[in-house]
Amino acid sequence: MAKGSSSNNAAAVFGTAVALRLALFQFPALASLLGERVEISTPVTSFKRLSEGVFLFTNGVPPYDGGVVHQAPLLLGLFYPIISSPLLVNLLYILTDLAIGYMLLRITVIKDMDYAKEKKITQYGGKEEEPGMGGLSVATLYLFNPYTLASCIGRSTILYSNTAVVAAIWMGMKGNRSLAMFSVAVATYLSLYPSMLIIPVILMLTRKINDNDLTKKVTIQCTGLFAGSLVALFALSFVLVNSWDFFGSVYGTILTVSDLTPNLGLCWYFFIEMFDQFRPFFLVVFQIHVFIFAVPVSIKLRKYPLFVSFLLCAIMGTFKGYPSIGDASLYLGLLPLSSEIFKYMRYSFLVTNLFMYSTLLAPIFWYLWVYVGSGNANFFYAIGLVYGIGEIILMIDSTFAILRRDFEAHSPPETTGQDAALGWDREVVQK
Amino acid sequence: MRASSPCLLLLSGAVLALSAAASTTTDTIPILKAPEAFHEQLVLKPLNDGSVYSHFQFTTHIGTMMDDDHFDGAASNLFKHYNLFPRSIGQILHSFEVEELHLTFTQGRWQYSDWGYPLAPSAGTGVELWAWLNDDKRQTEEHWKGLTNTLSGLFCASLNFIDDTITTEPKLSFRNEGLYNTHSVPTTSHNKNNSTIPRKLRYGSLPHENVCTENLTPWIKLLPCKSKAGIASLLKSHKLFDTRFYSMAVHVRSVCEDEKCRVRSLELIQTITAVFDVARHDGSFDWSLSGLFEREITQSCPLASTSKVIVNLPQTADVENQYSLVPHPPQGIHSEGSGDKKQEIAVYDLQKVLPGTTSPFQLALHWEGSRPKLVRAITPGIVAHRYFTGFGQERGGLAIEIRNNNSQDIEAVYLDTLPWYLKLYLHTFSIQLNGNSMDNQRDLVQKMFYQPAVDRSRPAVLELALRLPANSLVKFTVSFDKVFLKYTEHRPDANRGFDVGYAVITAQLPREQGQIGFGGLDHLRIYQEREAGLVQGRRSGKQEKEEKEGETDKMRVYTDTLLVSLPTPDFSMPYNVITMTCTVISLFFGSVFNLMMRNFEVVKPSSSSSKKSGKGKEKAEKTE
Repeated sequence: MAKGSSSNNAAAVFGTAVALRLALFQFPALASLLGERVEISTPVTSFKRLSEGVFLFTNGVPPYDGGVVHQAPLLLGLFYPIISSPLLVNLLYILTDLAIGYMLLRITVIKDMDYAKEKKITQYGGKEEEPGMGGLSVATLYLFNPYTLASCIGRSTILYSNTAVVAAIWMGMKGNRSLAMFSVAVATYLSLYPSMLIIPVILMLTRKINDNDLTKKVTIQCTGLFAGSLVALFALSFVLVNSWDFFGSVYGTILTVSDLTPNLGLCWYFFIEMFDQFRPFFLVVFQIHVFIFAVPVSIKLRKYPLFVSFLLCAIMGTFKGYPSIGDASLYLGLLPLSSEIFKYMRYSFLVTNLFMYSTLLAPIFWYLWVYVGSGNANFFYAIGLVYGIGEIILMIDSTFAILRRDFEAHSPPETTGQDAALGWDREVVQK
Repeated sequence: MRASSPCLLLLSGAVLALSAAASTTTDTIPILKAPEAFHEQLVLKPLNDGSVYSHFQFTTHIGTMMDDDHFDGAASNLFKHYNLFPRSIGQILHSFEVEELHLTFTQGRWQYSDWGYPLAPSAGTGVELWAWLNDDKRQTEEHWKGLTNTLSGLFCASLNFIDDTITTEPKLSFRNEGLYNTHSVPTTSHNKNNSTIPRKLRYGSLPHENVCTENLTPWIKLLPCKSKAGIASLLKSHKLFDTRFYSMAVHVRSVCEDEKCRVRSLELIQTITAVFDVARHDGSFDWSLSGLFEREITQSCPLASTSKVIVNLPQTADVENQYSLVPHPPQGIHSEGSGDKKQEIAVYDLQKVLPGTTSPFQLALHWEGSRPKLVRAITPGIVAHRYFTGFGQERGGLAIEIRNNNSQDIEAVYLDTLPWYLKLYLHTFSIQLNGNSMDNQRDLVQKMFYQPAVDRSRPAVLELALRLPANSLVKFTVSFDKVFLKYTEHRPDANRGFDVGYAVITAQLPREQGQIGFGGLDHLRIYQEREAGLVQGRRSGKQEKEEKEGETDKMRVYTDTLLVSLPTPDFSMPYNVITMTCTVISLFFGSVFNLMMRNFEVVKPSSSSSKKSGKGKEKAEKTE
């Protein structure tokens, strides 16, 4: 393919993405409608709450001395100069979304270069495995994902956390240690959970180093960089709002799930219904459960840091206290980076259906419960469960697929000897 | 008056200093004639819509000479001996260092547009408690907690539910009411005197609280004569709670006994206000004491210094003598004010009427023929209306309409306390003046104080200093989100909703025609002509005041309480939710654990051999 046509294609994709978003922003009613949907805006990402925070900040009321604002102080600082102009705010959202698309494109390019050096897997009929999706396809899948669009038009601030995550992966793939660690720190600063991405990003940074001692050194250096960036961000926040109240208000709310506004996650109804005396116990268990997978997954799949970051993002997006479809848009955007595993996945149809089913029914059941009163909380909770099961099956299935592919790479079907008779149709089980 | 106030201040300061220095040598200190005094009175007034307004007021004074700046009970030997003053109240004031206490129980709605303003200052539905506490030792929080719990026990009310999530500290409303009177030195002087004392205001209200007999009984026990004698013998709970509006209050404050505030006393005012719907039973607007209360006054309270029944006669505009009052007051009818503001008053002194006869005191008002439809229209200076907008259980809006009927601009303070489960978005706050939205809010809202709510620990407080233009309708709107509560935080009747308390507007209003009362506690003293000198002083002071600024009264206008329905979970679901959520989570955990721990292996074609090899492998692993 000629370079000119591919850059033309890229221009077309990004241009269409911008035009689509601009067109959708032309309907302020749509933006505010989406911005108030519980599936899109959670207490920690709602633009309405951010506006309130900026308003309080502007008027000299300490924004974190109250129960409304749970977003990081630097976000207030980012929006403080521009919030009065809807156009600038919308442009910021559009450009950030496009930046994610662009970074995904670049990541794919780097990944393809990595994969070019690897030994090709032979497939049925002795053919070589075909290369995965191109960068532009990955970017397109992200930019035109309905979840991404809804999240962007709804002006959910999860977008900035997602940007930091993708930037961290990009920088990790590029090998830029300081920027990669800084991006992880920003993502952590904005929504705490991405802190576990430090492991896959370090794996990316050290993937070309064979020396053990050097790997250790780089790891320690990266951890230091991460901690340093995080401390700097906190210090900057303190300078901005002149109080440490934001710790409790931002991270305390994330960790204790104190705002029980419904969302597509599993926590809200659980903690509404939980008996008071067991609430702290389950809170601790649920929060540990989110972080517990970072280490084992990174060990088992250390050769696939891209996939590890996808899996960790999906775990966050499923089990954190305030998940939204913005989280789904992130991991669904990262999934095509490992597009070579698609053919090993068994439940794609089921997962697609579960996602569509919950996406369609969630607003309906919400309406039945909250507005009409002919349904109750269980309706919406049930949809949350279905959505959660969809996410879980996706994660399990993709993990299975990458392990299966790994197995194929390491023990390809024998072409000679006794086992050759098994051929390409051999059965495989997990033992 | 203004020119003379510094002189007065100097004078009082000098006298105070002198008295402090020479407390043993008794020379300049005026001696109290009666260290304790008890006054009771009942005010009756037929209202425009035919209801009868009745207001019981019992005032107990305990005198003290205080050289100290503030009310120091222990030092002044005040709370050592109780005669008329109720010991239970005295001990509460003493142990929690309460400077001023206002507790009001209210049931029903006060209809401002029909009835005007009430005589007693509070009229918000539910229970309202506010107190100024001495903050010398920085123990305000503990004292407030103790105070609410003790009062809860004393009055059999749920006052102990006034905790941190309800308590507020208004910055502009509910100022001190004590230590100045209509007839004493202007307010500025005492403020200067007491500027050194740290005082903290605490305010809390329970809009959901029902008021009933169990609150009335302990209230009556505070009276020196209980309900055995005097006007208190009219207090029969069956009739009092069968009214359109019922309000019962206890106010404690320290007041000045003379013009220069050399002698102060602690004043306990107990009031009961009830609006009887007399026409409900037989359609007749005639009423009598025995008909209203089903009780009679057979003797006056011997402990009372004054004991009076006062009837504010209806002011029929056109024709004289459309009604007859039986019996005719012995001292005749005298009138206050003139022209539109004229108010005719009939006074019965029970201490003079009752002795000498064995028959109980009777009082009745009969209308000759039919009662005129409208006696005299009432236009309250400020009327406020607050309501919720929006639908659904997700979010809503709050709208407040304040109508200023005066022909002049009015300075008012608006106080709104919203529980934490309504999340206010102040950036959506907007103002409309006469239906047009205003961009420049500064003209109207001169000061704004906002305390955002914190989940489960404190309410949102919005306090606005307003300048209401003449003859205008000002409307505020602000939107909020409804919070999803834990299932244990819902009331047992979760689908009824939550009561949201009233908003309070405090305004300095010009005195209007046809009102019953004028809001402040000081006005209550107008009927207590205790000492001729004081009254004289008051009158002269008042006349000067009138000349200077016209008659104004500080009035508190209460809006209705609101009911908000919050989204409810399914209360029967805890076990199901816990099991289902945990199942989903363990599904993931189990599967990932499986994937992480096990490796792929090729299955041999013949099942028997695969089993064998599998077993063999297991064995091999075990032996390793």
